[in-house]
Amino acid sequence: MSTLIADGREIALDKDGFLCELADWSPAVATALAEREGISLGEVHWAVLAVLRDFYREFQLSPATRPLVKYTAVRLGPEVGNSAQLNRLFNGTPAKLAAKLAGLPKPTNCI
Amino acid sequence: MLIVSRQAPWAGPAAREALDIALAGGAFGLPLAILFLDDGVFQLQQGQAPAALEQKNLCANLQALDLFGVEAVYACQHSLHVRGLAAGTLAVEAQPLAAEAITALFNRFDEVITL
Amino acid sequence: MATLHVLSHSPFTDGRLASCLRVLGPEDGLLLCGDAVYALADASALRHPRLYALEEDVQARAVVAKAAVEVVDYPAFVALTLTYAKVNSWL
Repeated sequence: MSTLIADGREIALDKDGFLCELADWSPAVATALAEREGISLGEVHWAVLAVLRDFYREFQLSPATRPLVKYTAVRLGPEVGNSAQLNRLFNGTPAKLAAKLAGLPKPTNCI
Repeated sequence: MLIVSRQAPWAGPAAREALDIALAGGAFGLPLAILFLDDGVFQLQQGQAPAALEQKNLCANLQALDLFGVEAVYACQHSLHVRGLAAGTLAVEAQPLAAEAITALFNRFDEVITL
Repeated sequence: MATLHVLSHSPFTDGRLASCLRVLGPEDGLLLCGDAVYALADASALRHPRLYALEEDVQARAVVAKAAVEVVDYPAFVALTLTYAKVNSWL
């Protein structure tokens, strides 16, 4: 358990740095979470995070890498929706890290 | 691998477990199919609103099968019929199979898990 | 490529046997253990050329087999599983 200060609030994180309460998420929270990972969120990052939040809204679960790549390709095109690009954007662990920054629960089928 | 899911969605953990096996296997690129049999076909019922049960939303999760690489989704025709469900009205697209086709399906895969 | 189906639930309280019989192929095997051996008391419902029942469960329940069945002990059960391409347990 740790906490994150963003939006002038104190936000609870679990031991892996995921939000304890999904409702705590905001763009400012995402920016603060990304800083902890050494990532400065660019336009493409934001697009992927939005796609992930849509994925969660639709399927009520966090995607593993394959479905994340597939779904991103459908939504943002193959230039973003491929594993090389997603790996580059999210430090090599897109399913886990992008879910974290998007305020989703930790993917269950993820090593 | 063939996963046979034959329990109703909210009766216990079996339906959830069968789906988790399918999603995990699919995420790792395992060639697999899922067959809904007996009360398992109730998982495919449209319009389920399980929010008050406070469990993970199985219906929404089922929609993700395709994205997780599980493209072969089947339902037992007899099970659907006796429960008053029609193949065309399901929340998840599933190919209805007659008994002989299910016999063949069992024997097409190296492994079968029935839950 | 035949399957050995293994059932352990009583057919009088549960639909597994009925369902299994519906999808059972002529080459497939059906092994009854646990309370599933009670199915043997009714020969009319159970006609399958490759029907097996676990000896200790039959004896424990004093089931009088009316259906044609091969009663097997555990070593024979294990040997049987090896003669089929796979085993499907109806959990």
